Amino acid sequence: MNPRARLSPAALVAVTIGAAIMLAPLLWTILLSLKANSELMRDTASAFSGPYTLENYRAILVGSSVTHWLLNSLIVSLGTTAGVLILCSLAGYGFARLDFPFRRSLFVFVLLGLAIPEQAVILPRHQLFAWLHLHNSYPGLILPGLVAPFGVFFMTQYFRAIPVELDEAAMLDGASRFTLFWKVLLPLTRPAQATLGVFTFLGSWNDYWWPLISATRSARFTLTVGLASAQMNYAQTSGLGFLMAQAVFASLPILIVYIIFQKQIVAAMAGAAVR
Amino acid sequence: MPSLELIDIRKAFGATPVLDGVSLAMEAKEFIAFLGPSGSGKSTLLRIIAGLETADSGEVRLEGERIDTLPPGRRGVAMVFQHYALYPHMSVRENMAFGLRNAKVPADEIARRVEQAAKVLEIEHQLDRKPAQMSGGQRQRVAIGRAIVKQPKLFLLDEPLSNLDAALRMRTRIELAQLRQRVDAAVIMVTHDQAEAMTLADRMVVMNERRIQQVGAPMDVYRRPANAFVARFVGSPAMTLAPATLVGDGDYARVRLGDGSEVATRVPRAGLPEGPLELGLRPEHVRVGDGDNATVDLVERLGERTLVYARLADGRAITAEDNGDSRVRIGDKVGLVIDGAAAHLFGPDGAGYHAEEPRA
Repeated sequence: MNPRARLSPAALVAVTIGAAIMLAPLLWTILLSLKANSELMRDTASAFSGPYTLENYRAILVGSSVTHWLLNSLIVSLGTTAGVLILCSLAGYGFARLDFPFRRSLFVFVLLGLAIPEQAVILPRHQLFAWLHLHNSYPGLILPGLVAPFGVFFMTQYFRAIPVELDEAAMLDGASRFTLFWKVLLPLTRPAQATLGVFTFLGSWNDYWWPLISATRSARFTLTVGLASAQMNYAQTSGLGFLMAQAVFASLPILIVYIIFQKQIVAAMAGAAVR
Repeated sequence: MPSLELIDIRKAFGATPVLDGVSLAMEAKEFIAFLGPSGSGKSTLLRIIAGLETADSGEVRLEGERIDTLPPGRRGVAMVFQHYALYPHMSVRENMAFGLRNAKVPADEIARRVEQAAKVLEIEHQLDRKPAQMSGGQRQRVAIGRAIVKQPKLFLLDEPLSNLDAALRMRTRIELAQLRQRVDAAVIMVTHDQAEAMTLADRMVVMNERRIQQVGAPMDVYRRPANAFVARFVGSPAMTLAPATLVGDGDYARVRLGDGSEVATRVPRAGLPEGPLELGLRPEHVRVGDGDNATVDLVERLGERTLVYARLADGRAITAEDNGDSRVRIGDKVGLVIDGAAAHLFGPDGAGYHAEEPRA
């Protein structure tokens, strides 16, 4: 039996139109990236017909700094994601399960962080990082992203939703606090980890403002800053194909993340409960 | 040597006392049921034995060893939780093996014990399933299996049948009784269902208001309730309690009820306290006969017998029993015949006084 509900023809048409609208810019970008720059300078409509070429992609791989920026972005995004997941899981477990003085006040204090916009702290942060000599370094790009009040809140709520009986059963099974956390509770938060991880990764990958401020040397540019810097000097007219190839190249990791974690993202969005 | 000993256990949550000096000694391999209404402290007592709560004072000893200072995993007890508390992300096999792994039991021994328990519980074909893929009854078995493999000295069952539907509950009750014959350990079950307690337990511990009210074999508790609370709580439908005054003299108490009728009991007059008494009557000791001393409020036909809820002339409610094919209807005037020889008396403080046992 097929568990998927069949769509009515009208719904199918609507969904197809919606998908086409969503996909059009992406397809346009891909088409442009496969054309020679000289051809596109004459007329972008030439993208609809051949000849197509991979020259722009070759140029990325051999000539430009894009691969280097991509690597920077990967290091920063993966570092931020790993850090956020570790910190938020530990904090969430602590707030949800441990009894310690000022727990409620501290939790409120963390939540207050949600109300503080990045703009409000960017200058002191810039000064602080300059004083610590952290600009133009990976830690300098990663550390601000680790402050994740929403992640702490999200993980706390998720841990709270897990029945305390499981903790008790594990305690009777002779589990230490670490075993309880590592083998019983943490695996149950996997959907939450996936959601938080994906959103943190995407947020960090797309972040433009802080890397723009902190990374002033090309060697530490992330992809967003690097691509923006490459758009100077009439890049949009004289090197449109190359620019589009860079954009496609830059979005590949994000596509991969979505494809791998599709199931968890949908599950988390649908509010799948732990029971 | 007693299996489990509780010595003057006291516990309060903040300013609210929950247990007020509870002491109990369990025989080896005994099955004991903690029976009581919500808030009587029975679950808290079970959790103190398990180590999930800490007593404010008192001692818990298991086979002579003091265990209330040990962490839950090292007390030699296993618990079956009310909602099973199976680890959702682990297979049945992993659920059952988890405790043994933590105890560093060798892998081949773990495998052997899990296979054996699964066979006993008839879940050997489901060892690789996740709990979510199983029915309530099967999950219950896994929870029991998880306790069995640990080979504990004491099993703790927290309302083990309350999550099952009526038919499954009956079946599981029988299975628990059978299982009990096979495990080499003492068992404590918490329940508010007296039928469970009476069918499964060697002894019942009736609890109310933070204290043990009575400990005894189920039928002893049923026949000779220590006080008015136990009399009302054990037995379904509940014992009728009616105010009564002592009249006449003689070796055995004779009492007058509110409607003026008199009942000759077999309760020795000597030893009865001064002051107002209550007469206690089980429904099976009040039969429907000829006459018109009561009005029928409600008739409950149970097949093999009929329960008649009636009202005496003074308005006092009383429950009587009639044959399965009783023709009594609501509103009828009936004559109730009280078997005074089986009646109980309760003093002003609630303490019970019972008919002398007939000499063998």
